[in-house]
Amino acid sequence: MSEAEEISIIEVEPIQGRDLIFIEGFPDVGLVGAIAASYIVDRLEMREVGYIDAEFLPPLISVRNEQIKELIRIYHRDRIVAITSDIPIPPHMIRPLSHSLVSWIKRKDGKLLISVSGIPEPNRLDIEKPEIYVLGSRPEITEMLVKLNGANRFKDGFIAGIKGMLLRDAVRAGLDAAIILAQAHYNYPDPGAAGQVVSYLSKLLGIEIDVKPLLESAEELRLRLRDLMMRTDQVMRGIQKSKELELPPVYL
Amino acid sequence: MEEWRRNIWRRILEEFRRVEAEISRMEDEFFRLMREAEERSGCITPLYNIYESGDEVRLTADLPGASKEEIGLIAGEDYLRIEAPCRSLLRGGEGRRYVLHVRLPAKIDPQSVKARYKEGVLEVIAKKKITGYKIRIE
Repeated sequence: MSEAEEISIIEVEPIQGRDLIFIEGFPDVGLVGAIAASYIVDRLEMREVGYIDAEFLPPLISVRNEQIKELIRIYHRDRIVAITSDIPIPPHMIRPLSHSLVSWIKRKDGKLLISVSGIPEPNRLDIEKPEIYVLGSRPEITEMLVKLNGANRFKDGFIAGIKGMLLRDAVRAGLDAAIILAQAHYNYPDPGAAGQVVSYLSKLLGIEIDVKPLLESAEELRLRLRDLMMRTDQVMRGIQKSKELELPPVYL
Repeated sequence: MEEWRRNIWRRILEEFRRVEAEISRMEDEFFRLMREAEERSGCITPLYNIYESGDEVRLTADLPGASKEEIGLIAGEDYLRIEAPCRSLLRGGEGRRYVLHVRLPAKIDPQSVKARYKEGVLEVIAKKKITGYKIRIE
């Protein structure tokens, strides 16, 4: 069976438009991406237009407010397409999902794929305002991202899981991609870090998004997201996510 | 790829998936038992981490919606116990208590324990208890 058959990306309403920007918020470190992407979807009142299904996914549905929801959903508004997930991506789904997503975005002639995540910071407790780290699939993109709002460069390190695979597949496919990371608690939901990323993204996308409501409901969010964080922690253990705390070997 | 090689790969992949399914079944059992215990007792087990270094044991626990004054912390030689009311108005939060009782990976000196509560995270740092004989290096 080929990878393409295992993952289906379904557009219930066809996503059309030029220069589309795709934001992916799959759950991982501090649930930063998941919180940020869901918040953007909510604030911009984006329309749910599709979903991703795969045989690897557990046989589950989400029910919200008496509405039946897919686990991995696609939202759209204007130039922005956001992808959110109610569960951490199962390890065996990571490679085929990354591959399918990148080919799909390439077919849509997408302008940029943005992964949002947290960078594990052991001293997070002493950090008032988490710093943003950026990396682009090409040096020109990295330069553009760094110049914006004085973000830090992600110079050396590892990126594990779906975020790393997406960047790699994007480079291979010649798709422009970027990862935006905020210093975050490794396995506590971190709305503060997500808020920093949302502020950064609002500058990058040139749209106004107020992060105040997010920070105000931080306490409640952390309690509500405890289950997802626990599940995500389990999955992160299976994909060497802790490798992100290490530096790649250098022999010179 | 030749047919036989493809078959072998398929079988290896199937085996991987079987193992993954088995592990996830065990994890699921763990989550269920924890959840049921929480529902029955009305206590929330907070997310926590334990870090052990040369001379310290450090524990952090995520206690959103608690307050510094109401956190009860008890330190024993080989355990820490944290109890706190959860003041969040969220469904499942209101009227509940955080309870965490953890065995530590090393013996500590309970009198050395220091703790702080910042932005919903409790951090406890304890010095390891050192007992033994000092050996001179020749």
